[in-house]
Amino acid sequence: MVSTNTTAGYPAGREASVPKYSTGIAKVVNSALYRYTLGAVVETRIGRIILLAGVPLIWLVMLHVGPIYQMLKISLTSHYPVLPGVESHFTLDNYAIFFRESLYFTPLIRSFIFATIATAATLVVVYPVAYYVAKIVRPEGRSKALLLLLVPFWAGELIRTFSVIMLLANRGAVNVLLREIGLIDRPIPMLYTSFSLGFGLVYLICLYMLLPLYSAIEKIPSPLLDAAADLGAGPFTRFRRIVLPLSRDGIVSGCSLVFLTCIGVFATPMLLGGPNTVLFPETISGFFHGASDKWPVGAAFALIMLVTALITAAIFMRLVGGKKRSAF
Amino acid sequence: MSSILKPTRRTALKLLGGSAAALAAPHVIRSAWAAGGVLNVTTYDKFLPQEFLDKFQKDTGIEVRVRLTDDQGKQYNLLTAEGANPSTDICTVAGHRYSQFIASKLLQPLDTGRIANWKNLNTAYQDAPWARVDGNLWGLPVLSGYEGLARNVDQVKDAPSWEIMFDPQYKAQTSYIVSDFLTIAMQYLGHDGDFVSYEGKPEVAQKAVNEARDLLIKHKDMVRKYYDAASEVQQMFVNEDIYLAHSWSGAAAKLIMDGHPIQVSVPKEGTFGFCYTLNVVNNAPNAENAYKLLDAILASPEVGAAMTRQSGYSSTINGVGDLLNEREKLALTLPQEEVERIVFFSSVNRDMKNEMIDRATTEVKAA
Repeated sequence: MVSTNTTAGYPAGREASVPKYSTGIAKVVNSALYRYTLGAVVETRIGRIILLAGVPLIWLVMLHVGPIYQMLKISLTSHYPVLPGVESHFTLDNYAIFFRESLYFTPLIRSFIFATIATAATLVVVYPVAYYVAKIVRPEGRSKALLLLLVPFWAGELIRTFSVIMLLANRGAVNVLLREIGLIDRPIPMLYTSFSLGFGLVYLICLYMLLPLYSAIEKIPSPLLDAAADLGAGPFTRFRRIVLPLSRDGIVSGCSLVFLTCIGVFATPMLLGGPNTVLFPETISGFFHGASDKWPVGAAFALIMLVTALITAAIFMRLVGGKKRSAF
Repeated sequence: MSSILKPTRRTALKLLGGSAAALAAPHVIRSAWAAGGVLNVTTYDKFLPQEFLDKFQKDTGIEVRVRLTDDQGKQYNLLTAEGANPSTDICTVAGHRYSQFIASKLLQPLDTGRIANWKNLNTAYQDAPWARVDGNLWGLPVLSGYEGLARNVDQVKDAPSWEIMFDPQYKAQTSYIVSDFLTIAMQYLGHDGDFVSYEGKPEVAQKAVNEARDLLIKHKDMVRKYYDAASEVQQMFVNEDIYLAHSWSGAAAKLIMDGHPIQVSVPKEGTFGFCYTLNVVNNAPNAENAYKLLDAILASPEVGAAMTRQSGYSSTINGVGDLLNEREKLALTLPQEEVERIVFFSSVNRDMKNEMIDRATTEVKAA
């Protein structure tokens, strides 16, 4: 390492604080461009904090808060997009429409019921898998087991949805198999039903449940389970008294993630659902590309759904996760 | 370097000026470049044949950038949001939305004098009543179609009436786009599904819409799925998830061309016809190039034939029929009495129609 103590150009009294760097870095650090830009900023504590937090803050504001703020703004206007010759003004009427007309309650309630059932089903299906990987598979094989489980998720959501269609269609793999082995004469209509939608959703979102559960279960000390077994606790008692309480954090995180994802899911119900599974996001989308184009109403409904879903998730986290564990 | 960056007022001004120039450069360069040889087209998948686009680009040096759309609403909203600075030069408008795009001032009147090959357009479309709005033509009709009753001929032998969509024999084996089928259901019930006769009579219109809505809700168990995109109904027919559907003719014709046991017909209660038009967008940055593309489309029936083969819709260009094979012709041809049952979408009373149909659509889906 070639050191340098070049300090030319620094204000008087600052020479002592100049660090020694390799030639390349020293050139950058001592350049006027650096000193009057980044160098000046990192001189103070506030500057360093701004610099470090700047990128994540910009990310959050631009990509998370920004779109929601824009939606809020649109929801409070009478017209959007504004056509030539039309004046837009502030209004709360777009929110009032939801409460005035019972018509829109049905899809919202349907969405909540469906998301709750899908979350419960995902938990029931995924918990044993997470337990198996975290506790039964040997430590050296866990990464491989997790990797195997993650492989389907490398394909896009739409591709996986279409694979479910290929599986459950009247001429899909399941019906063909059942017909080949002589169990049925006519195909069983499985696609475009609540079953296909539930099946597809659980398949698509189980990753959000698997990872938090695995992480929580894996942390449970195995000697605890061994000690309980030595003291005569059976498998069910060990699960009920030790595994379940200690994996509560994973259950809360997984269920919250899955529930919030299910509430807002749009493409999958459109592709796998039937006439009786029209959910609230589809109703909202109708305002954005229906013939009469009511963006402000759609934006208001989207915010109503967002707030309702967050409140529901918060209540769930408070009830199941306990006061201290709640993120809200 | 250090003297340049010495933070004096002069250097600060230089830096500000330089930064402003750097920020503005992409816009200036892009505008200059775009004016030289770019054309942005928003259209449906498989509407503009790639071979044609390649040849057009080679012949003219104009780079064609195609942005695909699958929904009129998305296209309408994007253009409306972009206002006076559209990012597209040509958009593709379906007949039922034609007047809405015009009323919203999203299109510019078509100057047919700038399209040398205009004479190659079938005369039936050169000045069709539906195409002339406020004394102007607003787009080049390229493909025409209708809303038909598609059926799997192995399972459904005959379908002379829309009534078959409510026949319990085909329970959970039908499909439709709710908003489109509501207007067909109005026709089936003896009402005016295109709302032309309801101008100034909202109560009468609402009563008719409510009847159609109630009919669809009552027979909801007949439906396997409400679909949105042509590819969905095609997929359901191929997988034999449905045997009957209200379908745009192009989607059904494409299946027939591909050899599937499908037929499409116009039942006795009638249906609606429409044209897809390519339209030059209001304030299009490359309007000159847009006209060059429209002219090139009309230059040869080969282009129209390729568009028909890809989309399943009938071409509006003269001489295309001679280039299609028997199966393709069969997929596109209707008996004369069925052709006479097709009424083209009007441009009258659209706001009332859109408002009432959108609401009824939500009601049917929510029920």
